[in-house]
Amino acid sequence: MRRRLLPALALALAACAKGSETTSAAPTGGTLVIASPGDADVLLPPVLTTQVGKQIADLIFPRLAELKLDLNTVDDSGFAPSLARSWEHRDSLTLAFHLDPRARWQDGTPVTAHDVVFTWGVYGDTLVGAPELPNLADIAAVEAEDSLTAVFRFRHARPEQLLDATYHMRILPRHLLDAIPRGQLAAAPFGRDPVGVGPFRFVRWTPGAELVLEADTAFFLGRPRLDRIVWRVLPDVSAAVSALIAGETDAMETIPQRDEIERVLRSPDLRLVPYPSPFLGGIAFNLRRPLFRDRELRRALAMAIDRETIVRSIFGQYGEVPVGSTVRMQWISQGPVRQLGYDTVEAKRTLEAEGWRDLNGDGLREKNGAPLRFTLLVPTTSRIRQQAAVLVQDQLKKVGVDVRIQPLDFPVMMQRSERGEFEAVFFSRTLEASPSTLTTDWSTSAIGGVNWGAYASPAFDSIVTAALAARTRGAAAPLFRRALEMLNDDAPAVFVYSPRNNVAVHRRFENVTIRPDSWLVTVATWSVPPDRRLPRDR
Amino acid sequence: MLAFAVRRLAAAVLTVVIVVTLTFVLAHLAPGEPMLADVERMRIDPRTIARIRAEFGLDRPLAAQYAMYAGNAIRGNLGESFTMRRPVAAVIRERLPNTLLLGGVALVLGFVLGIALALAQAVRRGTWMDGALGAGALVFYSMPTFWLGLVLLYVFGQVLGWLPVGGMTEPVLHERMGAMGRMFDVARHLVLPALTLALVQTAGIARFQRGALVDALGTEFVRAARGRGLGGTRVLLFHALRSALAPVITLAGTTVPVLLAGSVLVESVFGWPGLGRMTYDAIFARDYNVIIAAGLVTGVLVALGNLAADVAVAALDPRHRA
Repeated sequence: MRRRLLPALALALAACAKGSETTSAAPTGGTLVIASPGDADVLLPPVLTTQVGKQIADLIFPRLAELKLDLNTVDDSGFAPSLARSWEHRDSLTLAFHLDPRARWQDGTPVTAHDVVFTWGVYGDTLVGAPELPNLADIAAVEAEDSLTAVFRFRHARPEQLLDATYHMRILPRHLLDAIPRGQLAAAPFGRDPVGVGPFRFVRWTPGAELVLEADTAFFLGRPRLDRIVWRVLPDVSAAVSALIAGETDAMETIPQRDEIERVLRSPDLRLVPYPSPFLGGIAFNLRRPLFRDRELRRALAMAIDRETIVRSIFGQYGEVPVGSTVRMQWISQGPVRQLGYDTVEAKRTLEAEGWRDLNGDGLREKNGAPLRFTLLVPTTSRIRQQAAVLVQDQLKKVGVDVRIQPLDFPVMMQRSERGEFEAVFFSRTLEASPSTLTTDWSTSAIGGVNWGAYASPAFDSIVTAALAARTRGAAAPLFRRALEMLNDDAPAVFVYSPRNNVAVHRRFENVTIRPDSWLVTVATWSVPPDRRLPRDR
Repeated sequence: MLAFAVRRLAAAVLTVVIVVTLTFVLAHLAPGEPMLADVERMRIDPRTIARIRAEFGLDRPLAAQYAMYAGNAIRGNLGESFTMRRPVAAVIRERLPNTLLLGGVALVLGFVLGIALALAQAVRRGTWMDGALGAGALVFYSMPTFWLGLVLLYVFGQVLGWLPVGGMTEPVLHERMGAMGRMFDVARHLVLPALTLALVQTAGIARFQRGALVDALGTEFVRAARGRGLGGTRVLLFHALRSALAPVITLAGTTVPVLLAGSVLVESVFGWPGLGRMTYDAIFARDYNVIIAAGLVTGVLVALGNLAADVAVAALDPRHRA
């Protein structure tokens, strides 16, 4: 019974999460052509650095277990079996995975626990330079107990052990990669012609043009409903939307601009599937600068910014004001979080109390002869951030603060942010399902990393550490809420917007479900009814 | 003629060396560093990126990096792309033919349209038609390339559905076509991007060619040809046009860099997998080896374009061989 249930379970994560529909009766066939803003870099999971590459790797290289749609990263109930048919916590530091004996690499070789051990070795090797390496720091060792049992040993007892062991690593074929020196893995031909174990197999890659995967009809969890997926590289958003409307492509992950969303909505063949976004936009203050060391000043600036108006102006209904350094995709965003509300009266009162007054009547506050002025960096590539910066500039002007917007080439903005050579910067972060992003973004240890503004609070560090160590979601939730509130109170940044993502997809596709952190991971359940198929579907 | 060609070739080689050196220096001196974009987009730890930079030798002095690059480049090794993790030479080999196809077709189309327009204007010189055609061409000339591309794409691709909106081939179906079908498929996908590039060039070429034609139509030999009773079309095409082509051929050489610059935008709009878009991405990611290789290729193409134009003009008119 369990064997028969597992394929549907893993194939239809949506059904798992909702406890409703399965897709086992849906017909097979169909082609999904995706308008992709960029090309993949390399199809070897530990070394890839592009979102498109990640999406493709999700379909070729499954994880040991997959997060369900609700992205509950703490409890085991939030995960569905994948390469591992089951797992057990042997003690607080040991987690054993029992691999599905039916799993075969696409060249026919069985998947074994030695592949899992090898994979951990690759991800952990600094010569490989895997971006996920910092996320694996808590794993002390991975051993093969027998050919189908892989045992993970952890350094600390943490509730996200299952996430740590499964989310960041996609299992690799040892028999095909073991002979390649680790430092040369990134450039190995395997990355251009990968052999995986997922629902889709690699077919063809024309760099800069298109990449094709086809359904693996022998996939051990059951054949995907679609026959193939094609990524077409269309970098220009307007052109990509035109291709979508013209029927040349079938889906597009994110349509960032409201006018382009409206174009999609006017097309009778297309629909939008909304889902929570992992993107968070905000303004980080550089706390190394004397101006921004003043906590009260930062709070006043935060209160003077009308985030709701900014979100409505830029995104309309397709965006929301975040409750803090989190997005709706993360479970910690649920429930009330105390924030600094929009209150220009209180903002002005605070500024006055801090000695910032308009003494010469020019509308700009001064203190000790210095005007209340700062420069805000924005990337020239982001229309959204430039628009938001102008609105912030206008709002702060009303309370006597002069904001000078400095548009910069994106790599230059990043360089200056990383080096701390800025006063304020308009950032955009892609958050992960795990709330551990609070640590990677704002902890003292992240200074030199992405904590660009050098916010350092021992109290915040300790409460986040305690939250990440809490054994249950119920115990962790109030601690994370306090951490978010602490960050809001200290205002090292103003968290301005989080766009609401919309996948645009052709109406002939059915069973379309989206997991917010990886929109295509459930694509094996999508299907096209035979009577609605196009020539390319056949 | 041979000595002339050798002199021009030597100048072309020198031009390429200077272009590559300048590109190398400017790319490395420009603010911003490779792979920093990934910090925000992919949450990659800057320390990991620093390790990769060291792996590529980017922590060495610039002079040492240049010496290493030059030594490798002479042996045909253009280094590895930081972002694609592939040999740059292989990447260029894949993309260059696509850009040459697009640029070549656009160049030919631009000249055919430009010369045709100039002929139409020259025979009606001074009339309202001459002015209207000139003004119409200027409209295209003053349009930003990417905007013209988007308009053509919207009208002929999305609204009328006559031509494909993007890409170089039809997804899935291209593989099922025969050889002729595949050629036709590529040709259909080529129309809009090539037309976009060509239309922007047409006005400049037409203006240049019209002036030369009007001058030629007033010369003695053209009057003599008419006096011998030759037809107007024959005089125009075989006498006036032939003598008026030299300055336009020179223009062809200088058009190559303009076309390459335009291809960056056009390839982005139409999803054409060529060098232009790749170079744009490389600049964005500070992928130095790709940027320098793009400079090398561009330098070679421009030098060859000018060389070919010089030789062609010299062949047409021996006075230019000095």
